[in-house]
Amino acid sequence: MAIVELEKVTRVYTLGKAEVHALRGVTFAIEKGDFATIIGPSGSGKSTILNLIGCIDQPTEGKVIINGKPTQGLTDKVLTTLRHETLGFIFQSFNLIPVLNVYENIEFPLLLGRNKMSKKETKEWIEYLVESVGLIERLDHKSNELSGGQRQRVAVARALVTRPEIVLADEPTGNLDSKTGQSIIELMKKMNADLNTTFIFSTHDATIMDIADHVIRLLDGLVVENSKNRVRAGGLS
Amino acid sequence: MIALKIAFRNISRQKKRSFLLAGAIAFGMLVITLLNALSGGVVENIRVNFSHALGGHIFIMGREFSGEGRMIHKIRPDQRLDQLLDENAASIRGFSKRSQAVPSLIFGSKQTMHLLYGVDFEEEDQLLESLAVTAGSLSGVSREGNALILPKPVGERLGVEPGETVLVKLETLSGQQNVGEFKVKAFIEDQEQFGLSAAYANRSYLNDLLGIGSQEYQMLNMFVADLSRLDDLTRVFREGLKSPEELEESKFEELEEEEALLEVSVGGVPLDPMMGGEEIKPWEGTRYQVMSLNQIMEPVELMVGVLNQVGLVIFLILLSVTMVGITNTFRMIMIERIREIGTMRAFGMQRREIKRIFLLEAFFLGLLGSAGGILLTALLAFILSKIRFGADPALQFFLRQGQITFSFSAASILINTALVLVISLIAAYWPARASAKLPPVEALSSHT
Repeated sequence: MAIVELEKVTRVYTLGKAEVHALRGVTFAIEKGDFATIIGPSGSGKSTILNLIGCIDQPTEGKVIINGKPTQGLTDKVLTTLRHETLGFIFQSFNLIPVLNVYENIEFPLLLGRNKMSKKETKEWIEYLVESVGLIERLDHKSNELSGGQRQRVAVARALVTRPEIVLADEPTGNLDSKTGQSIIELMKKMNADLNTTFIFSTHDATIMDIADHVIRLLDGLVVENSKNRVRAGGLS
Repeated sequence: MIALKIAFRNISRQKKRSFLLAGAIAFGMLVITLLNALSGGVVENIRVNFSHALGGHIFIMGREFSGEGRMIHKIRPDQRLDQLLDENAASIRGFSKRSQAVPSLIFGSKQTMHLLYGVDFEEEDQLLESLAVTAGSLSGVSREGNALILPKPVGERLGVEPGETVLVKLETLSGQQNVGEFKVKAFIEDQEQFGLSAAYANRSYLNDLLGIGSQEYQMLNMFVADLSRLDDLTRVFREGLKSPEELEESKFEELEEEEALLEVSVGGVPLDPMMGGEEIKPWEGTRYQVMSLNQIMEPVELMVGVLNQVGLVIFLILLSVTMVGITNTFRMIMIERIREIGTMRAFGMQRREIKRIFLLEAFFLGLLGSAGGILLTALLAFILSKIRFGADPALQFFLRQGQITFSFSAASILINTALVLVISLIAAYWPARASAKLPPVEALSSHT
């Protein structure tokens, strides 16, 4: 079952008098539970696709369907609620909130809407996530007291805390050294397997994309490869 | 809740910047709170000093026409007045019946004019207790008919010593010159700090010189027990002392009150209220003028009100400048935290919550500034109230025992704090709104 569908999506940006065609009729679908990667050189449209799937941007033409719901025409309030209930985000620059500590950063998305868990369940769930990302000793630390890898681990836990169906990661290893980046991808893969959460991440690192079970390759705003089930149960070599 | 937490912690993110903004607010708050407290203290002090100087809170004067058609100021024994005093005894802390004159005091070749009160020392035993004797003695003063108590500087000017006799030259109520001998009983500390320096003598002896009966007097001064009831009690006496003719002429009452106010504000000696004005139609018997300290205080309070308004204008100017600072700072903050805004929006924070974070931050900043300002004011007021300003008579009237006092009004502090908070919120509103309206994709792709 497709959890994300893009149908003939185009996205045109206007920069002054010039028009930039970031996407030129992209069509693909991602299945629930996929560990999908979008690859391509800079400017190929990776981030634009993630923004459209993440409902933080709207296509110029075409349809973006998330969990069976088309996103066009929805109000900002509805889109915000949709993001909160369905999506998690991991950013290249981690984007942790500096005034909150590790625990509070992870808890943050839970405080933005209805939380069905009790206080005790919430605490246990956050501690499980923190333990899973290996930061149980750093619960009280602020983001400026963590290394890049640790910050991205917190970001992974934060993205998963609302049990979203889809986690979007835009170049999650872009600001990390290769070893740390590899461990983050392994962590994401582990969470994908443990929680059956769909992960969609962009990268231009060929070694990292090998772990994905669905690869979408872009070039100049067009899909040039859409291959599935490459390494379904695999890992990094 | 999360907006509250983030807003609160954001205050300490840029400590120096927050300190400067809150400091500017605190300075404005300091100026207005100090000014309000100072003016409040001054009004209170003037009120207390006036009541001491004039010997009461309510002042009753009697006016009648002599056989020759001359208006004279005196109060005869009057049942209406005695009855009113009895009926309202619980509301009256004390009263005195005094005569007064501004005679020439002559000793040898030296001469000076000074206010002289004729008092019944047995009735006003508290007066004797309050006088600080520097030379001579007050014992037996009520028994010695021509005893005179002089302020020390007056005694020094005349070169007289206690026990010696001075001549007193004055005008009787009927307009004739009269001279009497007074024996200086004691010197007292000058009460000029209360705004009025007076000598004291036995009322019956002074009455003799003024040409009024020994049981008559010119002014009845009352201290009330509860100042909040001053206006009520004044009204009771004013209405109760009106003659039937006066009740009919009530349309002239306001005019008389205004004149009476003018009369007291120029010093203790009653002046003819219609002096230089239109002629008054003579009446039978005594008519009373009843005034309260509040009436005398009206011009002072008006002046203080103007002072407070000037303070408010200064405060608003300071706040306006601070408001520009807050708006610019929050614009800067928006740019600095643009990715953070994008992240929060991405995770599902609604626009109104983003706006709330900024507004709460401004609110906390305003609250911090106000609290700081109030604390600084309290500290400054404490230090200033410890300074003694010497015995300059021009200042004494505004001071209490030579020191500035501050009267803090919770209502005005609350109003000023509310004003600060509203202005802080207004200043932060536009940047907050712009932050909330920022499309998440733009915020996240920003490179700041």
